[in-house]
Amino acid sequence: MTDTVMEARDVCKKYEKLEAVKNVSMQIRKGDIKLIFGPSGSGKSTFLRCMAMLTIPDSGEIYLGDQCLTKPATDLNKARARIGFVFQHIYLFRHLTALGNVELSLKHVLKLPKEEARNRALAALKEVNVSDCVNKYPSQMSGGQQQRVGIARAIARNPDIILLDEPTSALDPELTGEVIDTLRDLAKEGTTMLIVSHEMPFAREVAEEMIFYDQGTIVETGTPAHFFNHPNSERAQKFMTRIIKRTMRE
Amino acid sequence: MDVWQTLIYLLEGLPLTFSISIIAFISGIAIGLPLAFIRVYEKDVSFVVDAYEKVFRGVPELVLMLLFCFGLGYYFAVPFANPFFTAAFVLGLRSGANQSQIFRGAIRGIGDEQLIAAQSGGFSKWQAIWHVMVPQVLTYSTPGLGSEYALLIKDSAYAWVIGVLEIMKRAELLSVQTSNLVIPFSITLLIYVAITFPIAQWLDRWGNKKRKKMGL
Repeated sequence: MTDTVMEARDVCKKYEKLEAVKNVSMQIRKGDIKLIFGPSGSGKSTFLRCMAMLTIPDSGEIYLGDQCLTKPATDLNKARARIGFVFQHIYLFRHLTALGNVELSLKHVLKLPKEEARNRALAALKEVNVSDCVNKYPSQMSGGQQQRVGIARAIARNPDIILLDEPTSALDPELTGEVIDTLRDLAKEGTTMLIVSHEMPFAREVAEEMIFYDQGTIVETGTPAHFFNHPNSERAQKFMTRIIKRTMRE
Repeated sequence: MDVWQTLIYLLEGLPLTFSISIIAFISGIAIGLPLAFIRVYEKDVSFVVDAYEKVFRGVPELVLMLLFCFGLGYYFAVPFANPFFTAAFVLGLRSGANQSQIFRGAIRGIGDEQLIAAQSGGFSKWQAIWHVMVPQVLTYSTPGLGSEYALLIKDSAYAWVIGVLEIMKRAELLSVQTSNLVIPFSITLLIYVAITFPIAQWLDRWGNKKRKKMGL
């Protein structure tokens, strides 16, 4: 047994003419926190969706532990139950309360008894600090609260890894803070995470590795210190300068 | 026979009118929902749905009722020779075709994201459809469902031709008996108005409230 939680090998995905993912490989070990950043439209989200097999790659392999997900006849539903996914636009189930949102897969995918599902859902909601929204519908919550429920929905199943696709970029700067706090807590607990984000102060604080992604491929990887001080590639340099300026303004 | 007696006689047909339309409505949901999802998510077999919709939306209910009741009823006395069953059955088939279209619009309106979110949580596609899409689709569709129900109340009058003793048949009997076409049919008109719209409107209002809650 290795302690590799997830691995991508030479993953490719093309949309008509656009190559969103070109030969991307990545290894994530237990407890890793990796952060992918780069210009919008460069294929980061597509890559993340490929990791969860929500988008099926054209070629390459995705491993969850020792299991190859890209092999035909793999039970993807079972595999996805072990992966938490947090969406940029949240996508809470609109017909259910916060509790219902978190409970749903516990009851019907993990098939936990009613009482246990409820308790686990409540614990997850408490962990992300939205206990006051338990019985609220998504439309009755703020964006920040919704996204924290989204995170609770992902962590309640105790997944091996959580994939987060720009969890804060659809939120006001004010609301971003509370979501970042939640992610920081998860990081402290040693949750394995692969995050697409441009929150640089957060990246600097929690990420072990940052991955600069542009035009469908990984351009450069390194520690936050590496990127903040002297990234090698010109593209990464330019991007960092721009994004640090923007962060300062905020 | 005075107006009062006429009214009472006609109203005695109400249970049949209601039960035909309610059975047809529920059968319509049971047929329309799966058809709509097949149409949207199972492209390979969606032509079957297309054919079904074309046939049952295109053919007059009268043709179907006569065909089923006297045609099929001749060979399969059970159940088709039973006019009540046949009336509800035929309208259910027709309603299924209509409702399939109503639901399809709702599925498109709700979008794929809800389904993807559920699949990311380990649900299979059809599990996600059942637990996440169906409740939303039903709520989203209430305005369309309301008018479909009104249509069914109205069309239940066709059951008259195969001899179901619902409101319309009673009006016809009375008009023959009394040689008066004005009074029985005027009262019948008022009864239909009174039972059709309140239900459709209530459904719409209920749906509006629910939709607001869901932010749809």
